[in-house]
Amino acid sequence: MPDARTAARATGGISRTLLLAFACLVMAAPFLWMAATSLMGQLEVFSSGRLFPESPLWSNYPEALTAQPFGRYFLNSLIFATVVVAGQVATATAAGYAFARCDFPGRDTLFMVFLATMMVPAVIVLIPRFLMIDALGWIDSYQGLVSTELVSVWGIFLMRQYFRTLPRELEDAARVDGAGHWRIFRSVALPLAKPAVATLALFAFIDAWKNFMWPLLVTRSMEMRVVEVGIAAFHSTYEINWPYQMVAGVVAALPIALLFLFTQRYFVRGIQLEGIR
Amino acid sequence: MSGAGATNAAGAAGVTPLVATGAAAAATAVILLVAADALSGAREQATREEARAAASLYEVPGVTEADVVSLLDGRARIVAPEAGGSGPGAFAYRAGALQPAAWIAVEPADEGNGWPWAAFVLALLGVLCMAAWAAARRRAPPPSRYPAAATLLCAALFALVAAAAQQWAHGELGAVSSARLARGLRAAGIAGAAGADPEAAARVAGLPWASGAALGEPDRIWTMPREAGEAIAADPQLRSAPRYTVVAGGATYHGGAVALREGPAGRAETPAGTLHLVFLGYEETSSPTVALIASAIGSALVVSLVLFLLPLAARPRALARTLAAWGFLAPAAALLLVFTFGPLLFSLWISLHDWRLVDPAHPFVGLENYRALLSDGGWWSAILNTGVFTLHVPAAMAVALALALLTRESRRAVRWARLALFLPSVTSVVAIAVVWKWLLNDGYGLANRALGAIGIGPVAWLTSPDVALVSLMVIGVWMVVGYQMVVFQAGLAAIPRVWYDAAKVDGAGPWQRFRHITLPGLRHTLFFVLVTSVIGSFQVFSLVYVMTEGGPLGATDVAVYHIYREAWEFLRFGNAAAMSWILFGVVFAATWLHFRLLERRGAHA
Repeated sequence: MPDARTAARATGGISRTLLLAFACLVMAAPFLWMAATSLMGQLEVFSSGRLFPESPLWSNYPEALTAQPFGRYFLNSLIFATVVVAGQVATATAAGYAFARCDFPGRDTLFMVFLATMMVPAVIVLIPRFLMIDALGWIDSYQGLVSTELVSVWGIFLMRQYFRTLPRELEDAARVDGAGHWRIFRSVALPLAKPAVATLALFAFIDAWKNFMWPLLVTRSMEMRVVEVGIAAFHSTYEINWPYQMVAGVVAALPIALLFLFTQRYFVRGIQLEGIR
Repeated sequence: MSGAGATNAAGAAGVTPLVATGAAAAATAVILLVAADALSGAREQATREEARAAASLYEVPGVTEADVVSLLDGRARIVAPEAGGSGPGAFAYRAGALQPAAWIAVEPADEGNGWPWAAFVLALLGVLCMAAWAAARRRAPPPSRYPAAATLLCAALFALVAAAAQQWAHGELGAVSSARLARGLRAAGIAGAAGADPEAAARVAGLPWASGAALGEPDRIWTMPREAGEAIAADPQLRSAPRYTVVAGGATYHGGAVALREGPAGRAETPAGTLHLVFLGYEETSSPTVALIASAIGSALVVSLVLFLLPLAARPRALARTLAAWGFLAPAAALLLVFTFGPLLFSLWISLHDWRLVDPAHPFVGLENYRALLSDGGWWSAILNTGVFTLHVPAAMAVALALALLTRESRRAVRWARLALFLPSVTSVVAIAVVWKWLLNDGYGLANRALGAIGIGPVAWLTSPDVALVSLMVIGVWMVVGYQMVVFQAGLAAIPRVWYDAAKVDGAGPWQRFRHITLPGLRHTLFFVLVTSVIGSFQVFSLVYVMTEGGPLGATDVAVYHIYREAWEFLRFGNAAAMSWILFGVVFAATWLHFRLLERRGAHA
């Protein structure tokens, strides 16, 4: 009897593993196919029955990447994402601290007002923001790209949740020593919140990197394009040259994939903090 | 200790009415200053234009200096070019010369109706109200709803002041406008009398005369029979101060000018022998409305802030704490105010106007944009497509839940599966769209090759109107499944194991355990995922932009893409803003419905 149960569990385990492996394969197939195509000849991809390159054509990479200024696109994306991360971390930690640790009239109402903005579809504010940036003469500039993205209500929410979990005693000890709110925030709360800050920074970075619509609207010249807009433009220029396009796709996906590989746990924590309230 | 606190409180209470009154007075002054500033800007512009008109009249051969002086009722002086430069004026060039022939110096006209008395009186009343209220509050304890009521009162008061100021500024601008029209007409008349051709006379007038294609806006040109037009043009009263009000396209236009050109012969809609009457409105001179509304809102905020802080003034510790908290909130709040709340109001404002990017005039049209959308089939089919696309969310949730259950037992499997499954939801959407476009390629994509291998004919994934949206939904599932799985994993981990053990002891099978423990335990997680994913899927854009551009035949034209095209391809910002508000309504309704359904379920369970 025990033997039969173990056997049943073992077969169950195997079928589970197989099922999971199949799911992973399906999910990963587009990426594998992208990598394979990026190494094939331009006409080779149209020959039927061939899924993988006969011999990898590495020269696709330098050729495709010099066809448009991808270096510049990456630099722009990096600048954009870095400034957005810095801005969101600064505004969200400060505001999150105020909502979690300070006591002032109207706090909860104000917090609800902040949260309510998460319900608003981004497209509503897109038109006025565009007109404002246009009136300021910031179209096609870094200021224009960055200025609207410097605060994240989700980030404020995350930081507030985190700051609330810190024990009061730490704060009280600092207060006895005569520290004001600013000192407590900087030298007690913020160092303790490093994991949450890391999560926020990571999400802010990825979101900024993936942001497509706003950069599409406020940039015009090739020199100001970010990677996402660059790839979309590249796609419409090299419509039928699939290997080149796949090169662009690989190059766009790789940095984020690597980043994700090394920072998985922060992602998972962020999602779980968000999901369980 | 307590004695010191009491004196402090008494002192603060003594200051209270003073501070409130001062804040209200300062805020009112700001509004009036904004109105006055807008007006002086318009006046300055009008003077510069007068100088330019006088200069260009001077350039017409045959026009004498006396003509130029009489054009501006003696306010113009003609001096040597090197003597000019101080004060408003313009250089005049004689035909063919590169050096200026003269400097036309112009003294600003003192047109207008004087001071905004109505706004002043209202403002005075408001300040008195504030003072009275603040004084009264010294005796009675503050009611708990005090801040909200104060904010509302402030807002109402400043709206009134702003409205009065705007009324006044509009009156003044109207005077500037009609003076400008009269001068334009007169300049054209003088130039015509001196023998200039109508084209040159129109140029001298500096008004948008009807010159065929140059004036593409038909609702600003009033076509009339030749006799009527000539009668108007010859009317001496009209020449001194032309002033019409015409409602066209929902907007009110003031002023008017008679065109010198005849309508093109042979076109049915403008029969020969007609004249065009061109209307130009205040919109030509920048309207102070937006600045006034902004300053009224800002003033209401400042004053209610002061009123809000006043009760705390008696308690220095509480005040310091509040100010510290505001300091921490300030960066985020300021950015949200400027780039989220401000734009929300602005967007509503835009949606009530006929707002085109290329046209400097934005006539108010009320709810016309919304009314037009009601019968706009393209827009509603975009909403429908968005709704259909959103149906991928439940499918994705089912798959994600299955995957979360599959990876539940082993920690290692969780980690590896997470890595493979989560990747689509973090990588670049544009890259993903490009890859899938290749994958779903009609002739050579992986999908059709795989189907071909098992003998199923090629499917036109993205090129058939019946299939394209479904293809996008499949990609949608693929993209969100990993994210949803991670959330479900977290939710599953929160369900106590003991419940399962107890159920097993009771003899419950796997299905019963799933039905009666897992699903109820995940209720909140499921709801959270459903709401966030639905809100997300209503905003799908990049996929459509890269893969289908809304095609084939509009089959994948989703709401945000439709709005994008309306605004940035057709440049109709007013319509696009109205659409985005309707989309907001739909999203809001969907979320609300979810909440209601959950509530009902909760009540029955």
